[in-house]
Parts: sequence; C-alpha cells; structure tokens
Amino acid sequence: MDAATGVGFEEAALIRAAQRGDQEAFERLVRIYDRSVLRLALNLLRSMEDAQEVYQETFLRVHRNLRSFRLDSNFHTWLYRIVTNVCVDYLRKRKVRREEPALMETNEGVRDRLEGLPEPRAQGDPQRALLNRQLGAGIQRALQSLTPRERMVFELRHYQGLRLRTIGELLGSTEEAAKTCLFRATQKMRAALVDFL
Amino acid sequence: MNCEVVRKSLCLFLYGELSLEEEQALQDHCDSCAECRQALDKERLLHAALDERALEPSADLLAGCRRELSLRLKLAARQQGWWQRLRARVSMVPAAIVLRPAAAMALLALGFFGARWTNQTPARRAAEGATEIQPAHIRFVEPDPSGRVRIAVEETRQRIISGRPDEEPIQRLLLAAAREAADPGLRVESLDLLRGRAQQDHVRRALLEVVENDPNPGVRLKALEALKPLASQPEVRAVLARLLLKDQNPGVRIQAIDLLIEQHQHEALVGLLQELLNKEDNSYVRLRCQRALQELNASLGTF
Repeated sequence: MDAATGVGFEEAALIRAAQRGDQEAFERLVRIYDRSVLRLALNLLRSMEDAQEVYQETFLRVHRNLRSFRLDSNFHTWLYRIVTNVCVDYLRKRKVRREEPALMETNEGVRDRLEGLPEPRAQGDPQRALLNRQLGAGIQRALQSLTPRERMVFELRHYQGLRLRTIGELLGSTEEAAKTCLFRATQKMRAALVDFL
Repeated sequence: MNCEVVRKSLCLFLYGELSLEEEQALQDHCDSCAECRQALDKERLLHAALDERALEPSADLLAGCRRELSLRLKLAARQQGWWQRLRARVSMVPAAIVLRPAAAMALLALGFFGARWTNQTPARRAAEGATEIQPAHIRFVEPDPSGRVRIAVEETRQRIISGRPDEEPIQRLLLAAAREAADPGLRVESLDLLRGRAQQDHVRRALLEVVENDPNPGVRLKALEALKPLASQPEVRAVLARLLLKDQNPGVRIQAIDLLIEQHQHEALVGLLQELLNKEDNSYVRLRCQRALQELNASLGTF
C-alpha cells in the first residue's frame, strides 16, 4: 500500500490495466468496493431498485471517467465522491417528486411496500415486534426529515463508519461543516425518537 | 467540561470523533453527573436502535448488480469497438496510399446500402431485429431522449434493437418483458414505457394479466398505475374488485380502493368495501376502507 495515496500495488495495477481498456481488470477493481457502494445506496435510499440503479450509474460513471483518474489520488475517495453525488441526486429528485418511500407506514408500524427488505428481528415476541415496527416507523420519519446533505453525512458516519474529515473531503467541504451537519442530523433524530428513548 | 458542552459532545463521543483529552474530560464529567450519565445512556440507546435498521445487501442482489454491470460494459465495449478498430487500422497505413480509393469505395458502399436501408420503414427494421427473441433473454429496456426505446437482449451475440414504443415489434417485446422477464426491475421499466398505451386492447389485456398475476407487488402497483385512465371500464373495475379482496399486498389493496372511489360508481363499491372491512387484517387498509365508506355516507357494516 502506498501510504501517500492509499492505493495498494495490486489495486494500482488493476487501475492501470482498466485505464488501458482491460474489462476484466475493471470488474476485479469493482469487486473490491462494490459491496460497500451497494450497502451505502441501500441504506440511504431504502429501496432495492434505487440501490441497483445507483450501483450501475456509479460504476458506469467510474468506467467512463477512469482515464482521467490520476494514480497519485486516492481511488476510494474518488469513487465515494461519485457514489455520494449519484445518491444525493436521487435523494433530491425524490424530494422534488415527493415520492413515497419504499417503506410504508401503517397503524401497526412500518411495512415494506415492496416486501423486499428485511424487518429488524422480532424473535417471536409480538409485543416486541410491534414496538420494533413503531420504532422503525419513527426512524424512517426521522430520516426523511433530514436534508439530503444531512442524510448523507449521517449515513456515511453511522453506517459506513467514515471519519468526519473524509466525509468533509467527499462532499467538497470541511471536517467542521461535516461535524455541524452530523450534529444537526442527530439532534433531529433524537427529537423525533424521544418517545422511544 | 460543563453539562452544556457534554450534551453537545455526546454524539461525537460515541462516534469516536473527540480527541483523547476531550474523551477523558467527558467521561470524568459523566462519572460525577447523574443527568449527563443518563443523557449518555439515551444517546447509546439511539445508536443501538439505529444500528438495528442497518441493511446489508444480499448475495443475490450483489450478484445481480455485478451481472448487469458486466453486460452493460460488454455492450459499451462492443459499440465502441468497431470504430476504434477502424481508426487503429487506418492509422497504421500511410494515409495517401489508401485514403483515396478507400473513400471512393466507401462512398459507393454508402450509396448502395443507404438506398437499401432507407427503403425500409423503421418498424420493419425493428421487426427484423426482434424476430425469434425469447422474453427471458431481455436484459434491460430504456427510453432514449429522441423518444425511441432501446432493448438489450442477452444471447450468444447481444444486439440492440431500437425503435419507437408504438412500433409493433418493439411493443411486442415490451409486452413480453412486462409479462415474463425474470427481473422485476425490467418488468417495471417495460410497464412504464407502455403506460401511455393502455387504451390499446392488447396492452390493456397485458396490464390486467400482470396486475392479477405478477408475484412482485411493486410490478403490480406499476401496472395499476398504467391502468388508472381505464378504471371506469367494467372489465378493469372487475379486476380491481378482485384485487381488493384477494391481493396479498396492502399497498395494492389501497391503490385499488383509491381507483375504485375515483369513478363515482358508488353503489357496487359500498358492498365491496363492507365485505373487505369484514375480512381485512391490515389496520392501515381497514382505516382507508372506513374512511372511504364514511366519504360515501355508508355504514361500516352490513345489516
């Protein structure tokens, strides 16, 4: 691993080969990162269809622009910058279209509209299952109340485990701005879930 | 560190974003302040609740994404390939030797094939490409900005068939994809492209078939959306009534209620809603049903 760029030797070789048009090398490069890209999209958009589209759009963009990638830059950061842009575009489009989320709220709690995403474990206890679903609905509501930027910062920090400094870089901003964003996001979440805590 | 600073720092503390000194100061404060300790416990609860909502992509989902990407890359490479090969070959030979005769030959060929090509209607061109295609081999459909549709078909040699959605062969493929494609996303996209053509008899029949039989509720909802302009037709209303009583998905049942109510043919609907209310388990659908009956000034039960 090159400490300055964060690009391993094998990864750098794959990038070079992919830049020359070697598709197998590109697909091997994709496999290093694609699970985390898909996880980010799935958690952020809570829709399998949208997550699949984000996956395709992200890696097709990477493929189109790979020739302009410089090996002295960090590939992980470059890739995440692309996926976060694609995801924020999706979140904004959703806000504009006021689309219904993939998860549907009912009197019994949150239900998946497409029946594709798993519910949190209830382990056979109906009361706990009900509470779980109500909590799930509360979390869903709270997440929807965040701005796309707050949602992204929260997602990257909480579910992806990225440092605030990296998040600031990814979003073309600073660590301090990412910190403020995270603070606002958790404050909104706390306020929305006050009955459950 | 005072209480106010501690409360503001709790979330950063749990995310490990404080310096070592700040962490120590916060812990020292919480050891001596019961209220802040309680606030920290609540913050931990919030984190644990959020952790439980984490979704992990399934191996199937990831494998499906990889397959589709690989296919799209191959397709893109093939589209670029012939042009790059031509450029590479031309660049290897001194231009003057080949360029003039090659240009003359190219013009001749262009005239010959151009004439043959322009004699065909767009529908015929698409029809030639679309013959003998199995719906299971359709990998994706997408509209392009000019209003045409691109359909990728997976076979030993993949090819793109392009045409307007109202051209017969294209429409036939879209209908087949909407009914039979293995990927529900593909079925949804095909239905979306057929949406404005529900007035046509064979499209309407396909939509009704999908709405009653497709195993994926997202696909059924998309077909329902396409049938919306036809909700006043008796055949469509009969299917909506069956969905209302039989569909397993509450989202579909609610959509069926909404479409039936919009048509203002209330007499038959009241009985239907009362029957649904009698047997409905889902409280959200029950609520929607009760509200609909109240809007129709009808009683909630039958007497």
